[in-house]
Amino acid sequence: MDSIARRRAAAFVCQSCTRRSLRIRRQPQRGFSSAASQQTKPNIYDVVCVGGGPAGLSLLTALRANPVTSHLRIALVEAQDLSKLRSWKPPPDRFSNRCSSLTPASALYLDKIGAWRHLDLSRVQPYQEMQVWDGVSDARIEFDWVGSAPSAGATIAYMTENLNLTSGLLKRLDELGGVSIFDGAKVEDISFGEQTEEFNLSEWPVVHLGGGKQLFARLLVGADGANSPVRSFAGIEARGWDYDRHGVVATLELEGEGWGGDQTKIAYQRFLPTGPVAMLPLPGNYSTLVWSTTPRNAALLKSLSTKDFVALVNAAFRLTPTDLEFMHTQSSGQTDEVAWRLEHSEFDRSRIPQAVTNVQEGTIASFPLKMRHADTYIGERVALVGDAAHTIHPLAGQGLNQGQGDVQSLAKAIEYAVAHGQDLGTTMSLESYVSERYAANHVLLGVCDKLNKLYSVGSGPLVPLRSLGLNAVNAFGPLKSFFMSQAAGSGSKLF
Amino acid sequence: MRSSLRLARPLLRRARLTHTSLRPTATLTTQSTLHSSQPFSTTPHRSSSVNPSEVSHFNALASTWWDPHGSSRILHLMNPLRHDFILSCLSSAPSSPPYPHRYLDIGCGGGIFTESAARLPTTASVTGIDPTPNILAVAKAHASKDPTLTGDRLRYLSATVETLPEEEKGQYDVVTCFEVVEHVDHPAEFLDVCGSFVRPGGWLVLSTIARTWTSWVTTNLVAEDILGVVPKGTHDWNKYINEEELRGHFSGRVGWGAPRVMGVVYVPGLGWKVVPGSEKVGNYFFAVQKVGGV
Repeated sequence: MDSIARRRAAAFVCQSCTRRSLRIRRQPQRGFSSAASQQTKPNIYDVVCVGGGPAGLSLLTALRANPVTSHLRIALVEAQDLSKLRSWKPPPDRFSNRCSSLTPASALYLDKIGAWRHLDLSRVQPYQEMQVWDGVSDARIEFDWVGSAPSAGATIAYMTENLNLTSGLLKRLDELGGVSIFDGAKVEDISFGEQTEEFNLSEWPVVHLGGGKQLFARLLVGADGANSPVRSFAGIEARGWDYDRHGVVATLELEGEGWGGDQTKIAYQRFLPTGPVAMLPLPGNYSTLVWSTTPRNAALLKSLSTKDFVALVNAAFRLTPTDLEFMHTQSSGQTDEVAWRLEHSEFDRSRIPQAVTNVQEGTIASFPLKMRHADTYIGERVALVGDAAHTIHPLAGQGLNQGQGDVQSLAKAIEYAVAHGQDLGTTMSLESYVSERYAANHVLLGVCDKLNKLYSVGSGPLVPLRSLGLNAVNAFGPLKSFFMSQAAGSGSKLF
Repeated sequence: MRSSLRLARPLLRRARLTHTSLRPTATLTTQSTLHSSQPFSTTPHRSSSVNPSEVSHFNALASTWWDPHGSSRILHLMNPLRHDFILSCLSSAPSSPPYPHRYLDIGCGGGIFTESAARLPTTASVTGIDPTPNILAVAKAHASKDPTLTGDRLRYLSATVETLPEEEKGQYDVVTCFEVVEHVDHPAEFLDVCGSFVRPGGWLVLSTIARTWTSWVTTNLVAEDILGVVPKGTHDWNKYINEEELRGHFSGRVGWGAPRVMGVVYVPGLGWKVVPGSEKVGNYFFAVQKVGGV
């Protein structure tokens, strides 16, 4: 695989050589040598990170917070204007619809690099229980952290708005200082440097920003999302498939704080043939919805009135897949349909979420779901982290945590390289990052993909079989606590 | 440990092959001194004694020197341990020289250690010497890929310890000599000359391989006689130096402290591992501090 990646990179060199020669002709005196001869070498960076999302910000924070790597010259390139993120201060009763489940392992790392205390912790909601069941057969697996895994902490994960996380990270990064931040900046091109008499930068990526600014990167980090331009530059393919499903998200208001009150918050997930629907607790009476469903259903959900949307969400955790399917054919009137059907259905109310009473205005949105995995995470002077390296089905809430795992491993590889005088951008310095993370991510991507496929089946012999599987896991305590410790990222390293 | 050593053997052998061809410094010195009544003479034109077939061999290797998956991979993997060992030496004695440090890397080859030492924030300067111009050209070309390795920070000299100017003596905080002494005919004299460049309080740091039946089998019998992948006579197993011989040498000299030793073993799939006691068997590091530091 490495040799393939190298060949691809080599092919890319040729393309960029062509581009480079054009540039040289245009600006004969603006090559690197003139800049390098200046004492300060303003455009040479040890790390240039493209993308200021959770992964990119965490990586730079980790590097700045570590005394071994804090002397590195670091640049952040972010397309959005970060001043909005700096001034992020929403009212206490409004929650963003883009939330993530942070495992205790991720939270611990954020604490280690000094970012956790910069989050608005009043908006972070830990949860201690999970209710997961099969929408077709009703088989359940109950995750009661305290009861079944006494050795682990009580918290399964922390529900956090992505903005709360990135804002906290940026605060920490600003506090540490020393990073050249180029925000509101468009990456116009990435090419290779030049060979002059003095230096040979022909293997150094150069990020071209608007206004002619050029950043030379000893290591170019692609934290630039699923459609990563850095990945394209490195000639690394990302393979996978689209699920033909959309994730519908919304911020929900419930009738109460949840059955366990403020102290025991519960996450709910029901597998429907169209995809899993999940309700995850936020502070107070609020919850966040992630409903994976067909693009057609997603479009309908977004078109409904607030009342009908609320009714359909309540139905999703209560009514049969057949009832739900029918109600997705109606363009309106779900409120009455659901009310009528609920009167004639029996539930154990404690095993399903409290009723949704409202949805916060402007929080219903959807995005297509896909599975992608890059062929490798590194090239010469290139590393990919987070969604640029892998995109996962959201059903296990692992996407952001995978990115945090990447960051932890890459920061460690960089630290080791710096401490031993290695050039931190070379594949030699980066290979431990790939060997640590690739297989682990691949297993998790595969498990979530298979789980999704398993539960997409609405009828037939697979349904009782998978239910048997869930019931068996449920009855077998040690196995369950093992699964839970893996989900929480606190388990022994398996992969 | 025995089984891991056995596993390590084939790779150690490869490492040896690499070292042999990559470390001509001392061999050349030795060859010229063989015919000289005075060991370590400072006669110039030493390169005239270079074996042409060896030179072409080095040239072939030169292109892969910095290939992370090439024949020098095992040396690249060993390099961090060199730093760990040096750090452990420096921090073991309060009389070690203060930062930043001046390094002299004898037999620097393509510059794997030389560059890495120059990149450390605690380094003032590094001088790498090697008598083979082709290899130095590789080292210089590679250093030009890193703009931080400029000015005084890193310099390469086509030289042997004997041709270095007299005024360099006693000037270096750390003098390194990795995988060299096993090729020297008169290691005692060679080590004395190397040691003369160390300043008081500074460290002379070596790595080499013990003269044991395993190293004889891997580097002499297999590599040279059976496989013939190394020209016969490249390795003279009798020249291998054991740790206790180095100890004996320095304890018999005035001005050196108690030596520090670290044995290392290459474990396939895991890389180089520090294995206490393995200095008696295979590859090991050895360091002595020159007394009289602050």
